Amino acid sequence: MTILDIIHTTTVDERVNQAITKAKANQSQLNAMVNFIDPSEQIKQLNNVSKDAKLYGLPIVLKDLVNMKGTLTTGSSKILENYVSPYNATITNKLIQAGAIIIGKSSCDTFGMGGTNMTAATGPVYNPYDLSRMSGGSSGGSAVLVASGVVSMAIGSDTGDSVRKPASFNNIVGVKPTYGRISRYGIIPYASSLDHVGYFTRNVFDAALILEVLAGRDDKDMTSLNSPVPEYSKNLSADLKGKRFGVMSNVLNAIKNPVVLKQFNTLLDQLKAKGAIIVDIKLNEDLMHAMLPTYYIIANAEATANHSNLDGLRFGMQQDGKDVEDIMTHSRTVGFGKLIRKRFVIGSYALFIENQEFLFRKAQKVRRLIVEDITKALSLCDALIAPASNQGALKINDTKTDQLSSEYLIAENYMALANFSGYPSMTLPFAYDEENLPVGINLTCIREAEQMMFNLALGIESCTKLKDQIKEVQS
Amino acid sequence: MPYSPDYFKNLAKQIRFNLSDEEALDIANEFEVLLDQMRLLEKIDTDQVKEMVYPFEDETSFMREDEVDEVLSLDQVLLNAPNSRNGFFVTKKVVIS
Repeated sequence: MTILDIIHTTTVDERVNQAITKAKANQSQLNAMVNFIDPSEQIKQLNNVSKDAKLYGLPIVLKDLVNMKGTLTTGSSKILENYVSPYNATITNKLIQAGAIIIGKSSCDTFGMGGTNMTAATGPVYNPYDLSRMSGGSSGGSAVLVASGVVSMAIGSDTGDSVRKPASFNNIVGVKPTYGRISRYGIIPYASSLDHVGYFTRNVFDAALILEVLAGRDDKDMTSLNSPVPEYSKNLSADLKGKRFGVMSNVLNAIKNPVVLKQFNTLLDQLKAKGAIIVDIKLNEDLMHAMLPTYYIIANAEATANHSNLDGLRFGMQQDGKDVEDIMTHSRTVGFGKLIRKRFVIGSYALFIENQEFLFRKAQKVRRLIVEDITKALSLCDALIAPASNQGALKINDTKTDQLSSEYLIAENYMALANFSGYPSMTLPFAYDEENLPVGINLTCIREAEQMMFNLALGIESCTKLKDQIKEVQS
Repeated sequence: MPYSPDYFKNLAKQIRFNLSDEEALDIANEFEVLLDQMRLLEKIDTDQVKEMVYPFEDETSFMREDEVDEVLSLDQVLLNAPNSRNGFFVTKKVVIS
């Protein structure tokens, strides 16, 4: 059922109440919400919104990084546990203008820094497909709220794969458009050169519709693009005839899971049967291995600088101290979780004068080479395609495998290539692993080719028939 | 162990937070793998390659008139302050005689 179907077949009160009731009922199992927002004032304000608005009276949630005036925006951190937004993010305004009713903020890894949702100050978010497993992150709360049928759209953000990986683990659609396509004004940053606003839906049509609402130039975000916003959902076509899918053999070689590989090959056969052309793409293997460490260096260094304003003096949680420096140190020690402190230490290490040239600047140069390699590959095909992960979601306390293996460096972490390049990328449902856990398929297209990406995704959706998947949680 | 736990404690202190002994030891141990990962970059020839700071290098900023748009009142600005008085943030004395 698309968002438009929901709007046309239920009343505003019905759909908003149902979403809130379900979110509350699921909370003890999923731990997905950080706080709820009373929707009554927003519902009243719908009088000023056309009934034809794209999201008229649609309940949604925002990742707990997105400012909405008068609501708590904690970044799923302790240091901002009491922070009340004094203004709206640009996307908050756009969503409200489109008629959306924001029912709350969803849990994420603190400041979006993580891929597991294990660093949220409110604790882990659980996967509805198996409650002993993680949601994936950093936008884990938003992902499971869509997957469990609470809302049909939720906002996330994606710095490495923080929308696309949890989408994969939760059998839903996750979109990260072109860098600058959606304004980031009013959103707590992680790493400014890699951060994108993204979102989750349960089908490709809704994914196209939502970008029409969110995209567009914003003078308050100087990285936002000037390009016009097409009506993606009206221009959708599932016709795959002559469309070229570039299969990244590096990623395929790094995936060791035969169950996932078998289903991937089945999908390729289905795509070919619909007239698509499969192109073998071999990216530079050294660059692929360097992708994750390059990401770590750049992302953590930018995060360390971005979050230096969290000092406990002007806003956020404050701890006592004998002088200003002492207050800052105590506030930041108590306010940041263990994993976040570790990331800041790594970032600080990379930014040290003596390390800057061979680490930070080196990583920025390697980034350029990675992007050049991807751009060249995309001149040979319409989209790069590969499974989003080697397997479904890990158990909550699972420790990582060999962190120098191709499986870890490439198969589990290659999607950051779309953050380095800023190219549009999305994940949609495609397979189940040997434990019947969902695994998504990922597409990446050239800059601003969102229409092509949605069209190809629609073609894939018509092959897999995996749309509108909901995993109910027994409350 | 390439760096001692104290090295990381000092690193943390410079960005204004403390690490416990256990935490510093954990980071020191984990750093070995991290450095191995970082060494993967050394294999790549980046001579003559310019740093990439942002994904796109086209100009998105421009000059505009300085027009008042959205203004927060002083009360709104201080709403989140742990301590404020007479329109100022209040903290411990910075200059000590």
